[in-house]
Amino acid sequence: MTGRHRRRPPTADSDRPSRRRLGRGLRRVGLALLLTSALLALARPALAHGGALRGASRDSLAVPTWLFLSTGGGVVGASFLLASFVTDRGFVRAVHDWGGLLPDPGRAVRLVARLLSVVVLAVTVAVGFVGPDTAYRNLAVLVVWVLWWGGYVASTYLVANTWPTLNPWRTLAEPLPSLDRDYPDGWGAWPSVAALLLLIWVEVTAPVADAPSLLAAVIVGYTVATLAGTTVFGVDTWFERVDPIARVFRYYGRVAPFRRTDDGVEFRLPGMALSETRLVTDRSEVAFVVALLWVTTYDGFVGTPLWAGADGNPGIAGVLVGAGVPAVLLYLLVFLVGYAGFLVAYFGAAELARRFGDTYLTRDYLARRFAPSLLAIAAGYQLAHNLATVLTLSPTVLSVAAAPLSPPQNPPLLAGLPAWFGGLELTAVLVGHLVAVWVAHATAFDVFPSRMQAVRSQYGVTLVMVLYTMTSLWIVSQPYAEPPFLGGLYGV
Amino acid sequence: MSRSESVRRDDAWSPHDADGDEPTVDVPSDATPHVCEHCGQPFPEERHLVLHRGLEHYGRLDEAEREAFAEAYESEGAEIRRFRLLALGALVLLYFGFLFMYAVFA
Repeated sequence: MTGRHRRRPPTADSDRPSRRRLGRGLRRVGLALLLTSALLALARPALAHGGALRGASRDSLAVPTWLFLSTGGGVVGASFLLASFVTDRGFVRAVHDWGGLLPDPGRAVRLVARLLSVVVLAVTVAVGFVGPDTAYRNLAVLVVWVLWWGGYVASTYLVANTWPTLNPWRTLAEPLPSLDRDYPDGWGAWPSVAALLLLIWVEVTAPVADAPSLLAAVIVGYTVATLAGTTVFGVDTWFERVDPIARVFRYYGRVAPFRRTDDGVEFRLPGMALSETRLVTDRSEVAFVVALLWVTTYDGFVGTPLWAGADGNPGIAGVLVGAGVPAVLLYLLVFLVGYAGFLVAYFGAAELARRFGDTYLTRDYLARRFAPSLLAIAAGYQLAHNLATVLTLSPTVLSVAAAPLSPPQNPPLLAGLPAWFGGLELTAVLVGHLVAVWVAHATAFDVFPSRMQAVRSQYGVTLVMVLYTMTSLWIVSQPYAEPPFLGGLYGV
Repeated sequence: MSRSESVRRDDAWSPHDADGDEPTVDVPSDATPHVCEHCGQPFPEERHLVLHRGLEHYGRLDEAEREAFAEAYESEGAEIRRFRLLALGALVLLYFGFLFMYAVFA
């Protein structure tokens, strides 16, 4: 042996994921997991108690709320520190590249699935108009909120984004003629940001989950707008750039382990495709990702006692409406101001990445690169938000679907979920955050030539994630209060 | 950031994203950036450029440049070890901090 053995640094072309490196890296990750689980073990009593999502009353928390929240924040902060121990570029890349190809499911299966989804859409709208008025006996409400928004959306980030195939509006639009006008590039994704905000605004403030005919009317409105858009700009352009739902599913699909490509079905570790650059390519798309996080937070926030009031305490909304602020204006103001706040916080984090990272890369470029990591958080939160509803109402869906026009008076419900279920939901929130921390880590390694630059660049993003975890855990741990003053908002 | 059309895959900004998002840069007017001769990306410090060359354009480097890259990569190690110590300290603080807080408040 002459001299000291010098390990050749991994380079773009020398970089086959070697098994030895993967093994060593895995041991390191094993250690990291051990440490994380030690932290989680500490946190668990709080999680288990705080976790009965929206059901538990405040005093059932065995630990003070501030301690429960800072534990959540602490876990995310600690996971950043742990991820920073992994500085082997080759290992980071090997984790993100691991995967392979599966055969394509075939055209016949796809055709049947597409036709079925159009049938489901038609039945949903029809039953929404002519079916029973009680929400939990109406198939339209159950299909949209339980099957689609609860169950199907979860499949887009847990399994694969199948929306491009199943999207019934695409199937309806394809045979129609199109003017194929050029989509103005300057608009970017802004129309889909606006449309997403509008859809969620309607969802939160109008009783679309309680009044089946209103829900059906909203679906018809969306159908008309979509078909008009595809006629003007062409089907592919519309669903790629404007349609907010297709965009949500495309983004969630990047979290999923499977993806359809020209060669077949590609599989990777969940979330690992988020470090690629093709997903978020301009400022408007960053704004869309941030909007996705904000709308879930807003939806939760207006249902907290702090906003809605409880036990004779008027809450913020009660005080301000009492002082003469119109309810619609108040809800709208909080919706827009909160979103602006989220944008400022996120772009601020990107600016911090630029400062700490000591780089000439622009704030916007860094914001684009780190934005996809937030999608893992959004997915975790979406799952926590909907899992209980889907499981509890799944027997209802089956029995109502058997006879949509004359459903049973009291369709069956799942009697109750076990106590540990709340812990499962909080685990979903935390796992989403942990994946996000890892993806941000890997992205930083991709962006910066120096590994210390990469670690430092994440200080701001980690801070924002810690604050966001604590906010979401706070919302999740609050008892649900009906958002006030919405009843007469539209005279429905 | 213009790249020639005949760009080889390993010369793209990142080998995975040959057709992905191009970085945008903003160099202060009073700065003297170190610019990569292969792709034009500027860096505030020379060692960043040396590392960048090695990571993204290894196939095009001569022996001296490869040597410089290996050295820069190695010398980063010391800084990383220092950071790891600090991070470990922070983790220990966090762990015992929460342990005591749970002992007192829960």
